[in-house]
Amino acid sequence: MKKYVLKRVITAIFTLLAITLILFILMQLMPGSPFNDEKLNESQKAALYAKYGLDKPIVIQFFHYVVNMFKGDLGVSYKISKNTPITQLIASRLPISIGVGFAAVFIGAIIGLLLGLLAAFKRDTAWDTFATVISVIGVSVPSYVFALALSYQFGFKLDWFPMLYSAKDVVRSSVLPSVSLSMFTMASIARFTRAEMIEVLGSDYMLLAESKGLSGNKLVFSHALRNALIPIITVLAPLVVDLMTGSLVVEKIFSIPGVGSLLVNAIQSNDYNVVIALSFIYSAMYIGIMLVVDILYGVIDPRIRVAKEGD
Amino acid sequence: MAEATFDKANSYVPVEADFRLKGKTADDFVDTNFASQNFWKEVIARFWRKKSAVIGLVFVLIISFFAFLGPVMNEYTYSGQNLENKNLAPRIPIIEYTGLFDGHENIKTTSGTKTVNYYFEKKLPDTFYWFGSDNFGRDIWTRTWSGAQVSLIIAVAAAIIDMIIGMSYGLISGYFGGKVDMVLQRILEIANGIPRLVIVTLLLLVFKPGMITIIIALMLTEWVGMSRIARAEMLKLKEQEFVLASRTLGAGNMHIIFSEVLPNIIGSIITQVMFSIPTAIFTEAFLSFVGLGIPVPRCSLGSLISEGFNSFTTHPYQIIPPIIVMALLMLSFNLVADGLREALDPKLKEM
Amino acid sequence: MKKKLLSIVLASALTLSMIGCGSSAVSGVSEQNDTTSDEADASDSKKSAEGNLNVMLETPVESLDPQQATDGTSFEVIADYTDGLMQMDADGKAVNALADMVDVSEDGLTYTFHIRNDANWSNGKPVTAADFVFAWQRAVDPEVASEYSYMLSDIGQIVNAQEIIDGTKDKSELGVKAVDEKTLEVKLNVPVSYFLSLMYFPTFYPVNQAFFESCADTYATSPETTLSNGAFILDEYQPAATTIRLIKNPDYYDSDKVKLVALNYQVIQDSQQALMSYQSGDLDTTLVNGEQVDQVKDDPSYKAIGAGYLWYISPNMKEVKELQNKNIRYAITMALNREAITTDVLKDGSAPTYTAVPMDFATGPDGSDFSADQEKFKDVCRYDATAAADYWNKGLEELGAKEITVTMIHDADDAPIKVAQVVKEQLETTLPGLTVELQQMPKKERVQRMQEGDFELGLTRWGPDYADPMTYLGMWVTKNANNYGFWSNSEYDEIIADCTTGSTAMDPKARWSALYKAEKLVMDEAVIFPLYTQCNAELISTNVSGIEFHPVALNRVYKNAEKK
Repeated sequence: MKKYVLKRVITAIFTLLAITLILFILMQLMPGSPFNDEKLNESQKAALYAKYGLDKPIVIQFFHYVVNMFKGDLGVSYKISKNTPITQLIASRLPISIGVGFAAVFIGAIIGLLLGLLAAFKRDTAWDTFATVISVIGVSVPSYVFALALSYQFGFKLDWFPMLYSAKDVVRSSVLPSVSLSMFTMASIARFTRAEMIEVLGSDYMLLAESKGLSGNKLVFSHALRNALIPIITVLAPLVVDLMTGSLVVEKIFSIPGVGSLLVNAIQSNDYNVVIALSFIYSAMYIGIMLVVDILYGVIDPRIRVAKEGD
Repeated sequence: MAEATFDKANSYVPVEADFRLKGKTADDFVDTNFASQNFWKEVIARFWRKKSAVIGLVFVLIISFFAFLGPVMNEYTYSGQNLENKNLAPRIPIIEYTGLFDGHENIKTTSGTKTVNYYFEKKLPDTFYWFGSDNFGRDIWTRTWSGAQVSLIIAVAAAIIDMIIGMSYGLISGYFGGKVDMVLQRILEIANGIPRLVIVTLLLLVFKPGMITIIIALMLTEWVGMSRIARAEMLKLKEQEFVLASRTLGAGNMHIIFSEVLPNIIGSIITQVMFSIPTAIFTEAFLSFVGLGIPVPRCSLGSLISEGFNSFTTHPYQIIPPIIVMALLMLSFNLVADGLREALDPKLKEM
Repeated sequence: MKKKLLSIVLASALTLSMIGCGSSAVSGVSEQNDTTSDEADASDSKKSAEGNLNVMLETPVESLDPQQATDGTSFEVIADYTDGLMQMDADGKAVNALADMVDVSEDGLTYTFHIRNDANWSNGKPVTAADFVFAWQRAVDPEVASEYSYMLSDIGQIVNAQEIIDGTKDKSELGVKAVDEKTLEVKLNVPVSYFLSLMYFPTFYPVNQAFFESCADTYATSPETTLSNGAFILDEYQPAATTIRLIKNPDYYDSDKVKLVALNYQVIQDSQQALMSYQSGDLDTTLVNGEQVDQVKDDPSYKAIGAGYLWYISPNMKEVKELQNKNIRYAITMALNREAITTDVLKDGSAPTYTAVPMDFATGPDGSDFSADQEKFKDVCRYDATAAADYWNKGLEELGAKEITVTMIHDADDAPIKVAQVVKEQLETTLPGLTVELQQMPKKERVQRMQEGDFELGLTRWGPDYADPMTYLGMWVTKNANNYGFWSNSEYDEIIADCTTGSTAMDPKARWSALYKAEKLVMDEAVIFPLYTQCNAELISTNVSGIEFHPVALNRVYKNAEKK
């Protein structure tokens, strides 16, 4: 087991390094630079390139970047917030994005689970169709439209929740963005729960449990649900990271000072360092979560570990 | 060994008549036992039994029909502007007498709501915009359907290409295993680790914006899921007897992968394609919203929604048609995919 | 009722998840929540309170370092808490601020500023001439690499500025000197008629050296690392923040005139959210999108505010042989229905423009606007479909072509996308045989391609840096990086040189008529096709008065603003 974990961690680190290199090369291919402003002349541009070391060959830039990264320095922003260390920019924003993201996953998972169970128990009835349609509608309308509609109805018309994020009222002002974000999770979880439950309900051990005289709630909760839930956890984890990418637009609409809106602005203004740093963080989180899930799953279900080690 | 030495000369030689069946008809040649196991027939039958899937399929067909014929059903074109006739509310002949779709709209201004009918104010008795006109005086009906057309083309093309790439990648990776698999899986992990938005945006910035670029960008981000499924299926099937049999018979690797294993997993692949079409439509809509979608004046459902977004509270009729078409399209593809998956999955069959 | 219940369930689910996720920062916030809920209520009531002005910003601040900032938002916020030697009055004229007296030498080459005695920084230290010397040296220091260093060299013409930027001289040789604690002497290469109006530009704002050095690298990244000498003090801010708060500076020398208690900025990038926030009273002023104007145009709080930007199309006359033909260029400029673009598409009050220098920002020696007369070039720039078609046919004949296809590049932003589509339609319907293909891209890329000459037609804009026509006319001299058309005319170059550094520079009237002549050359040759002067449609709550709007440098000034 230890060997397996170690192997996975080492590959993860190399994967991350490769991703950083690719990002670096992609940035070089990107047309325009952070300093393509009509008000700048050639000599000023050269001075700025020299100041940030962008005039050096890419290999050297990459080397410097990786060395600094290990020291915990991700460079400074060129444009979005001039000369501000990126670590400082991210430190205050990441917790906000994670908070909203977690809330969204939480809401989505609960509602999705309920819808999925409803659909599985009432399979092929009107309830099933209803649950499917509800869960799919969530992903049928783009999240920004959903966000705007929510904010118009519940923020503007009814005035239940604030329309804009506010650091003074985090919980209430996170409701609308979290709900708009939770739709995708809800739909995925509902679908997955339904499929898993149907499989579990049809399995031999359920038949056995039933034949032993178990019935009703006891049967559902202590046998069916428990076995169906384990795989759902593995679906949930990567959804968290997907959500943070999905939050780009919602953050912009609700003026949330998170990392998603930062990434969009960075891409649009060619702020190389910020794009690379944020992409790196996303990748690291994604790979990290996948790693944890894999290892946890190996602990829960030894068959998988054997299969993976056999790869 | 005594049994082996029997008299050849005296042995009975079978004649054809010995094997003649009684009451020979065409039906008798069909092995009914085997026919009942015809996989595809049963899949189709199961699919038809699932009402929601059938409704989904019908909607997909209806929307596709309008996507290709809708834009030529009236005299307007998707790019033809008429600034005189901008922001006109929906008006449909005949139905207008019911009071619905007669060209009136309620504009909520900060100083109260007012009801106006610009068709009368501008003296246009014979002008009809079925879904209204946008802020350039373009017909929303035409634009919605030509947008649906663009979205469908992009999504289907991206899904099919990513199916081909992802499937081959996954099958090869799974079949060969060992070093090949290790290298391919590391590459996949790297490709999957970079946030999609970053890849897509960079691609769209590097290449000339347009339909082909969007298709390539979508394809590049979606093939990973497909290859995972193909690989998993391959790992399950490659140890089975039929693979061993065809290898013993001297079949080459490529023959085994694409002619022996592929037909057995095509079902789950098709299901995955059906799921990735709505994902592609959605990603395109997202790209439109951040300003990287299809270049104007062409439109997709996503770009229409982004365009209507700013007049959401002023002229809501401009955003509603593309949203409804998009939602229906997404819903239908999802229902069809769900239906297909259930129809194909033997585990769910017994229930 | 059901909905209400749902909302309660959602809210409590959210609270649970916030506590549940265990991240220190987030749970910290939720712990705080009990204690801050009262404060939140208090701040809610404070928000709508008298003297608290809530303002919408479209983009976050890029930098609060006056020598690093380049965008309008940053300038606006910096100017809220920092005064320059001069500030703008309500009409945009330069008036004394930190300087209470200015002496200009006879030859116009030496400016002596006397700094007022009651001007202090918010840490109690007096504002001195040395603060200006330090700041201006920073502005030209190649190590700082300020993007606006050309304000001191090309535009301000301060002695040695260019040499320092180029690295051939040390920054201590800049032509600016602290004669004594409160007297600043500036030496110029040539007389600059608009030099005083540069002094309100934030690049020229003072920085206290001792304080700057005490902050090390963190200068101007938080309220603690900024010093105020202006009407307000920075109270809440962090880099790229979505909310910024400033409060009144009690020690400001002119604090009697400042009526606001606090100034709250909220960054909102979505126009629908902004309008709804305004309508629900969370904002006192907001920008409205063209499509929303229908909704608010009858509102007494609706105003169209001049933003100064001239939008125009630049033809590439070096690479594209069709556009080298003057008749083709005339045909294009006359086929543009600018009226329709502004009234039917933009709807935000933007004004059709037929001159190379836009209206309402440069006032001449006789007190009139440089471009007040929009018909002065009507022989070569007007909307006239028939004339356009005639020129077009003549041009095609000369070229021996029947059809022309040109690509127009433009920014992937709301307004340019709209304008480009109308321009395409107008040109294609008026000029038979013309196909305009549109290519949209991020602004940075568009600027790069235009500067490198990799385009055919380009839709672009230019905002004035100072209140003089030269901020526009300076662009079309030979080899200027922003002379996108690669146009070259020796007569024009001569006039411009004469008006900047030559004999005409000191004679305002002669200079003014020379600039007219230069503009006529640009228009006669159809070097650019001007489209419109940008306006911003704003809603300003009726109980708010005294916000001063300017098209140049500082877009909004709140010093005299009042909220009842």
